[in-house]
Amino acid sequence: MASEEKDGTTRPAERPLLVLDDVYAGYGRAAMVLRGLSVKVPPRTVVCLVGPNGAGKSTVLKVASGLLRPREGRVVVDGSDVTGQGPQQMLRSGLAHVLQGHSVFREMTVEENVLLGAYTLRDRARIAERVAFVQELFPIVGERWKQLAGLLSGGQQKQVEFARSLMIDPKVVLLDEPSMGLDPKTTATVFQQITRMRDAGTAVLLVEQNARRALETADLGCVLDLGRVHISGPAAELLADQRLSELYLGGRPRSTA
Amino acid sequence: MPGWVRPAALAVGVALVLLFPELVPNAYVLSAGVIVASYACTATAWSFMGGFTGYVSLGHAAFFGMGAYGTGILIRDLSLQPFLAWLLSGLIVLVITIPVGIAALRVRGASFVIVSISFVLILLLVSQAWEAFTGGANGLNVPRPFADLYRPDHHRIFFYLFVALLAVMLLTWWVIDRSRFGAGLKAVREDEDKAEALGVPTRDYKLAAYLISATFTALAGGMYALWFGDLDPIFQFSILLGAYMVLMALLGGVRHLFGPLVGAVVVGSALEYFKLEFGDTQLHLVFTAILLGIVVLFMPDGVIPAAGALLRRFGPQDTSIREITAEELLERNRAAAEREGAAAGRGGGKPSDGSGETP
Repeated sequence: MASEEKDGTTRPAERPLLVLDDVYAGYGRAAMVLRGLSVKVPPRTVVCLVGPNGAGKSTVLKVASGLLRPREGRVVVDGSDVTGQGPQQMLRSGLAHVLQGHSVFREMTVEENVLLGAYTLRDRARIAERVAFVQELFPIVGERWKQLAGLLSGGQQKQVEFARSLMIDPKVVLLDEPSMGLDPKTTATVFQQITRMRDAGTAVLLVEQNARRALETADLGCVLDLGRVHISGPAAELLADQRLSELYLGGRPRSTA
Repeated sequence: MPGWVRPAALAVGVALVLLFPELVPNAYVLSAGVIVASYACTATAWSFMGGFTGYVSLGHAAFFGMGAYGTGILIRDLSLQPFLAWLLSGLIVLVITIPVGIAALRVRGASFVIVSISFVLILLLVSQAWEAFTGGANGLNVPRPFADLYRPDHHRIFFYLFVALLAVMLLTWWVIDRSRFGAGLKAVREDEDKAEALGVPTRDYKLAAYLISATFTALAGGMYALWFGDLDPIFQFSILLGAYMVLMALLGGVRHLFGPLVGAVVVGSALEYFKLEFGDTQLHLVFTAILLGIVVLFMPDGVIPAAGALLRRFGPQDTSIREITAEELLERNRAAAEREGAAAGRGGGKPSDGSGETP
């Protein structure tokens, strides 16, 4: 099923789980980073944001997860307007953010890390259920349960972060540069796991430097430049676009070369 | 380490502490014991903030001084029963700390250290200048709660009072350490932004830890006022006192329940001993510095983790390297098998595991 959706054409028009609508946002008194950005994340879809450094990719995720309040525009989760709410409310409405870089708590065990993902949940039975779910989805998490997270390899730590983000059973997971600092083989594994998260029912908004690799994984792609989306469409189409490849993806399309 | 070691060590420790007043040769050592017990209280109180959240406050003497002066002034002006004054003073400091904490916790790292120092300096200047209220440089005399007791008995009672206060703090620590609140604080200590992104109400939690820490420090200060009976701004609102709290906590190990207590016993005893031996010169400061240097160089995580590592080295070597390798080998083999299986039977329904990378 997932593979059919890969080209983005067979999908029926469903209500998107996350909508950023005409968002303006920035830090302090500095110029706006996002200038009229709009993006939609439909259910069971991996949407990938690509673009040059400084285009505002990470800022999009920060606005979505409530770490940064937008100056203008709206953030809508599954039909309800959540503009301007903080991280806790955003988590409660079903948005989980996996921050850039190594974001496990290195001095805590895998267990403590994963349970922190359920920080906004209070129902113990529900938490136990989610633990079982993420341990099944990411077996390494269960195997290393009592170990310090800092002792795990980079790829394993990434899985702990994914598991942690899935604890609240989010509608949309926001992934900021999941391949950062990982070797090519591990990167491939990480992208494979992103697909598995989607297949398990979670939509993903993905930000990546590793643009070509990310678009190969994603269903939809958006090219960001100067704080707004320039081109968006099925990821496969973006990958095949000759001009786009030269401008943003560094070189010619792989498939047609 | 066998399971009985920990409770046994705890029981021996508790027994030693409780028997201390009976074991000491004279009243002087007993009074040194009271000072060490008060240090243990302040270091543990400091650690509710410094240990749990990683926010290093060098200005905790502010709370100690406010607790001490509050107790003394309430007894002097309102003729309150001494221990009622003590509790009320702790409550007042709790209330005062709310706006202070909201202001101080707007900044992190080095800026927080500076803000904490400036607070204690402000209080030092105010308490020196406002002579009518605090007694200024002439000091403040706090009437003794047990006026008819001889000195050694007075020391003995206060030793137990400080130990009881410490026990309450340790119990509070133990409860927080196992709570959701504690987990949130530890997440803040490791990385505040990540904690925030996971929905930990970092601002409220930091403030709560700060209030707990300040109130306990104030209670230790008030107890000190009741015991010592004479307060001077220079000693109560002193940066040095705040620095001792930090040193003791770090030296013992801030992440361990008994870390600040052990640190206070080591540093406090050393301070008292050096003062006794070399008190007529400045040499005692040199020896204190040497002791701290040794600890920082050889036990950077504190005495308790260092002692634990030493015990493990001499203990039974059951967890050998071989065991770990076997486990990893097994995992590698299984992952490889799964990869093969997945490659052979694509579409067979079983998703490939993806955990196959070698660590």
